[in-house]
Amino acid sequence: MMTTAVLRRIGLGGITGSPIAIAVALALMVVLLAVPLGHNGYLEIVFRNILMYAAMAYGWNLIGGYTGYVSFGQVAFFGAGAYCSAVLSAHGIDNLFADVALACVVNALFAVVVGLPVLRLKGHYFAIATLGIGLALSDIVANLDALGASSGLAVHHVDEAHFYVYYYAMWLVALATILGTYFIARSKLGFAFVAIRENEEAAAVLGIDATRYKITAWAISAMMAGAAGAVFAPANGFLDPSIAFSIDSNVFPIVMAILGGVGTVAGPFIGALILAGANELLQRYFIKIHTLFFGAMIVIVVLILPRGLVWLFGLKGGARTWLKSLTAFKA
Amino acid sequence: MHLFAQDLVNGILAGGILAVVALGFSLVWGIMNIINLAHGAFLMLGAYLTYQLFASFHVDPFLSLPISFVVLFALGYLIQTYLINWVARAPILTTFLLTFGLSLLMVNIALIVWTGDQRGVTTAYSGANFTIADVTVPWTKLFTLLAALAITGIMQLWLTRSKTGRAIRATSMDIGAAQLSGVRVAHIYAIVYGLGAGLAGVAGTLISLSYAVNPGMGDPFLIKAFVVCVLGGLGSVEGALIGGLVYGIVEAFATQLDFTIGTQHISGSGLQDAIALVVLLIVLIVRPTGIMGKATA
Repeated sequence: MMTTAVLRRIGLGGITGSPIAIAVALALMVVLLAVPLGHNGYLEIVFRNILMYAAMAYGWNLIGGYTGYVSFGQVAFFGAGAYCSAVLSAHGIDNLFADVALACVVNALFAVVVGLPVLRLKGHYFAIATLGIGLALSDIVANLDALGASSGLAVHHVDEAHFYVYYYAMWLVALATILGTYFIARSKLGFAFVAIRENEEAAAVLGIDATRYKITAWAISAMMAGAAGAVFAPANGFLDPSIAFSIDSNVFPIVMAILGGVGTVAGPFIGALILAGANELLQRYFIKIHTLFFGAMIVIVVLILPRGLVWLFGLKGGARTWLKSLTAFKA
Repeated sequence: MHLFAQDLVNGILAGGILAVVALGFSLVWGIMNIINLAHGAFLMLGAYLTYQLFASFHVDPFLSLPISFVVLFALGYLIQTYLINWVARAPILTTFLLTFGLSLLMVNIALIVWTGDQRGVTTAYSGANFTIADVTVPWTKLFTLLAALAITGIMQLWLTRSKTGRAIRATSMDIGAAQLSGVRVAHIYAIVYGLGAGLAGVAGTLISLSYAVNPGMGDPFLIKAFVVCVLGGLGSVEGALIGGLVYGIVEAFATQLDFTIGTQHISGSGLQDAIALVVLLIVLIVRPTGIMGKATA
């Protein structure tokens, strides 16, 4: 609540972030259309993962960035979406559209059912309860024989020559999350989300049904993560609880959204591009210490870029404002 | 009946450790409003320190308790002074991620130094136990419980009687008023975070006596620490103790669950995180202030 007032005073605020940043993000998306033309399987997987993390980062951004409910359980929705594909595949239905559609429906229902008790919690309590949902779902799936338990399931759709299908499917999912975020942010829905983030009681006084809007934000964010999971499962070819509910899929999207800019339209994509790219390079050349680098990167980003890259575009007062923003929350 | 008594005793013995794990976590959370995701990593470092002292110099694990505390206290003090204090009043996401990043750093440094192999602290008395009325009690776990009770008692005395302890409690009640009375908040924050880390280190030493030591060992204890804090009531020493004992008993019974629905076999031992989440949600809905808690924000 008070925090946003502090940030506005030092020149940071707004509902979509810099329009220039959005244009840059969309231009980069168009460039990414060309990746499969190179017929390089490795690069295709790297960029498909970037698009996947971007879609998940947008999902997190909607509930954590716009609505101000910091969720640490988006991986539950990603995993649920992935298992939707696996179950359809096990029943002989090999269709990406069906996968994504089922994942969206299942996740929306899942989000409403879980959201009713969990969205009553605030702050730390909400964060840990959502963290618990991801861990608990992973535990439960690992014990369900119907879902392959901890040994996993094979998910197979097309042969290797047609792997570009997955790439374009993931591209479409990512584009849908970017455009979805843009239009939601500028609509009445987006203003309601931000109002809840700024001051839930005040929003309620203005006639915003906080519970309804919170659950809406949570359900849309769940669908975004679920759609990414639904495309990921067949593209990966195999699914088990440690893949579907990995700690990377949980934390990467959050760090990406923060590096790019929380509560902005372009931020999560830019953050995903930079972080997933950097992570890939580190993994390739420094396999033993790449997680160490990642930890250090989180610490540095949080301390020197707490509002993300996108906010630097619209900064009034340049470096002085930026320096001031660093000490705004000092003890 | 004897199985019931055995589960109950196992639960109480495990609960003593959980109480020490939760104590430091609860102080940091209650006083600075920071969820310290690096708590599990501090615990792991304490366990490795104990292992290394034992393996290299044959120091008895119980004697390394104060060493763990001092080393981890210093580490925590430095981390708070030079890193966390910069963003101590930022929205929760900031400190959440910062401590998560620190945790990744520490776990991966441990992975490089000690590799991922399982290590154990096996003393001459490790396997020894005694039996009362068909209930088996391992000596190490009993001493661990006694040490946990002693540590909780010392913390409670120190927080209520010492000058620094009072300054800490004053800071948690009203920062502005504490500052006006001459309390240096940044310094107090560093002491509190140091205490949190030191207590995690002590817990790590105690845990190394009964569990395997590896770089990822802290993670399961982190979410349990959170549940114990919520269960017992936030920021209070006796809350952490009661919460730890209650949760230890609940978990000891819940992990014994074993039944079959249709062809699906369900065993409680594989569902520890799900059990923690269920306990957490029930407490938050039924009694959000915890067993010992007063109404807090």
